[in-house]
Amino acid sequence: MTTPLLELRNVSRRFGGLSAVKNVAFAVGNGEILFLIGPNGAGKTTVFNLVSGFLHPDEGSIHLEGRDISGVAPHEAARLGIGRTFQLVKPLSGLTVRENVMLGAFMHTASADRAAAEAGEILTFLQMEHLAAQPARGLPLAVLKRLELARALATRPKLILLDEIVSGLTSGEAVTLAGLIQRLPERGVSAVGGVEHMMQVVMKIAHRLVVLDHGVKIAEGKPADVVRLPAVIEAYLGPKYRELAQ
Amino acid sequence: MSSLRGWKPWALAAAVLACGSLALVARNDYLLQVLFRIVLFAGLGLAWNLVGGFAGQLSLGHAAFFGAGAYGFALLSAASTPRWVALFLAAVVAAAFAGIIGRIVFRLRGPYFTLATIAFAEVLRLSVTNLKLTGGAIGLSTPALFSGRSTWGMLYLSAIALAVTAFVINVYVARSRFGYYLMAIREDEETASAVGIDTASYKLRSLLISAFLTALGGALYGSAFQFIVPDSVLTIDISLQMAIVTMLGGAGTLYGPVVGAIMLLGAAEVFKNQFQESHLLVYGILIVLVVLFLPEGVVGGLQRRFGGR
Amino acid sequence: MIVFFQACLNGLLTGALYALIGMGLALIFGVMRIVNFAHGAFLMVGMYVSYVLFDHFGIDPYLGFIAAGLFLFLFGQLIYRFLIRPVRDRSDFMQILMTTGIALILTDGAQLIFGADYHQVNIPLVNRTLRFGAFAATAASLLSFVIATVLIAGLYLFVTRSLTGQALRAIAQNIEVAQLVGIDVTRIQGLSFCLGIALAGIAGGLLLPALYLFPSVGDDYTLKAFVMVVLGGMGSIEGAALGGLLLGVSESLTSLYLGNQWALAVDFAVFLVVLSLKPSGILGRQRT
Repeated sequence: MTTPLLELRNVSRRFGGLSAVKNVAFAVGNGEILFLIGPNGAGKTTVFNLVSGFLHPDEGSIHLEGRDISGVAPHEAARLGIGRTFQLVKPLSGLTVRENVMLGAFMHTASADRAAAEAGEILTFLQMEHLAAQPARGLPLAVLKRLELARALATRPKLILLDEIVSGLTSGEAVTLAGLIQRLPERGVSAVGGVEHMMQVVMKIAHRLVVLDHGVKIAEGKPADVVRLPAVIEAYLGPKYRELAQ
Repeated sequence: MSSLRGWKPWALAAAVLACGSLALVARNDYLLQVLFRIVLFAGLGLAWNLVGGFAGQLSLGHAAFFGAGAYGFALLSAASTPRWVALFLAAVVAAAFAGIIGRIVFRLRGPYFTLATIAFAEVLRLSVTNLKLTGGAIGLSTPALFSGRSTWGMLYLSAIALAVTAFVINVYVARSRFGYYLMAIREDEETASAVGIDTASYKLRSLLISAFLTALGGALYGSAFQFIVPDSVLTIDISLQMAIVTMLGGAGTLYGPVVGAIMLLGAAEVFKNQFQESHLLVYGILIVLVVLFLPEGVVGGLQRRFGGR
Repeated sequence: MIVFFQACLNGLLTGALYALIGMGLALIFGVMRIVNFAHGAFLMVGMYVSYVLFDHFGIDPYLGFIAAGLFLFLFGQLIYRFLIRPVRDRSDFMQILMTTGIALILTDGAQLIFGADYHQVNIPLVNRTLRFGAFAATAASLLSFVIATVLIAGLYLFVTRSLTGQALRAIAQNIEVAQLVGIDVTRIQGLSFCLGIALAGIAGGLLLPALYLFPSVGDDYTLKAFVMVVLGGMGSIEGAALGGLLLGVSESLTSLYLGNQWALAVDFAVFLVVLSLKPSGILGRQRT
């Protein structure tokens, strides 16, 4: 029984009186691509914030390779190997595409030249090398999403959190990006993504799904199986459709 | 990223030498005094640039470090410390002071941060005004670093040395990881954290360097006029002037603070009579105009127009 | 012991005026998220308006404050249109710079027009003292307290009961939703700004009998206003009023036990303590 890469053990987090996330538990293995599915408010972003140190759990604990990381600061989480993208893309608009990515690379080198070289390699992997010298300001959303990914990849994470990484993209753009995400395990990076709907692309690339509803995990398993669960259908379409699953 | 290769270092060195040689050529003490002020504020602007320009933290309390340098220098000299040692020791003390202030103040965001910097400087000014040790409102006399006929010439050269040091530090910061990290902090602190940047630590580091340089400037200023009062070295005017010089020239650029100092203090000298009476009015108008029409400052605006950095 | 309570009483009386200043900033900062570093300068303008009315036309400041408020309300329209609106959506940094610039222009402008001299207004009311058992208060401070309280109550009712007031609160809570439901955000924001600085001006007019008047008189009040807003909690206009009362009492006690010159230092200490311990303020809600 190998230690999972990431493990959430009965994690809860409240805001005021509201439980954003309640008793959530799941694990991610090395080389896995897991997706959290749930409508807005289901708790996906809260989970991402908890794992990456932007929030601390009220109850439960979060473990990275067995080590308890609940309550570390965000920059520490990054240094421990957790990369993330944000739902609202945040290009550092005063910098160029390459410089944005260099920021991530700087985590492992103090040399600007080496950081630039690494940034170049990642931009090539993500098929963006032709945009390297462009200022980040004003670029289209699909490019910015990829830039978020590039910057996070440059920190050489063990695990990358992809919050709504394909939302807002055309289906063509989403398919391309999903194809790149699928190749992350080859680079030694596991991924946890979060999406609102069970999109076809997600179905294709996810090894496993975890379904959240109002902060609670209601299902977990392979995409094909999860999609047919009555509880899941009910959460998405309402109780009337529960019978359809029977 | 601004690269200082090829012909640029030579051109800059030549410019510095030319400025320096003015000290030999100019016979007029008054002219040297004016040049001293301009170059001093170029250096102070470059010091402020680290915190306000690169890191994007609007500190309006830098007078605290300027004054700490001046008063530190005066007090240490009075305690029989050799003058040049006192100068640097005062700057070290000011940097230590910055370390303490920074830890408190950088936890605050946006306007609260700026207010806190203003308040710290004000509290320092009030304390100095009310304590006998520091001479109260009457002030302290400050030893001169140089004597003889070429005093102002030497002061002017010292100011150039300070400005050049500040400039070189700016250049180093701009091309290094430190500089990139500061700019990331300026753009978005959350994203900066997400790529592993300890934002509190880096902000503090930039403040320490900035405070050290500012304090050196304050001590130099004190020794130039040989007498300091709280209202000359600890007022918000000094903080504002440092910020405006940099904003006007272009915060976050290398040449911005220098251009800004030449423009602002040069104009102050030219329009001296009107300015003396209402220099704050002019500062206010300048700030408003810069914010409305030239938020990147003169150099920043030019860089955007003609590309390159 | 009596001295202590007397100081508290004095503090409350001044605190009501402070509350006006704080509520004014809460309107601007809380509703519009505009960082207004010129708040104290507007207070100073109100003071000078009242002074001019008193000096040239013999109008009592306890009536003149109305004119001060009106003047600032109208003046605010110009400032909002040309200077504030352009920076409405820009960074805090830029707003701070802009309002600092405005403050400098107003302050130095006042110096150019009126000179740097200190002025004082002498009204018989200031010298009449009323006694309540062991405690005393000048008729002037009681009058300004009553006026301020009426205004605070009026403002509170306006913000909670009137349609415009509710629009204000809606914008403070969530500006996008407010736009979606059809609220004219620009107009209400402008109104909020003008009302905010009018309150500062009114407070200035009411403070005129109590303070020396000089161009930089308003400088400290900007910091004080922010302390009140912080104390009371972002977005809470009632909170800022409460903050004002607390600040008044705190300053009064500081004057009593430490001396007047440390009042600002204590204000600042309070500011830091509240921000460190309870950033959302005494009455504040968490910002979503």
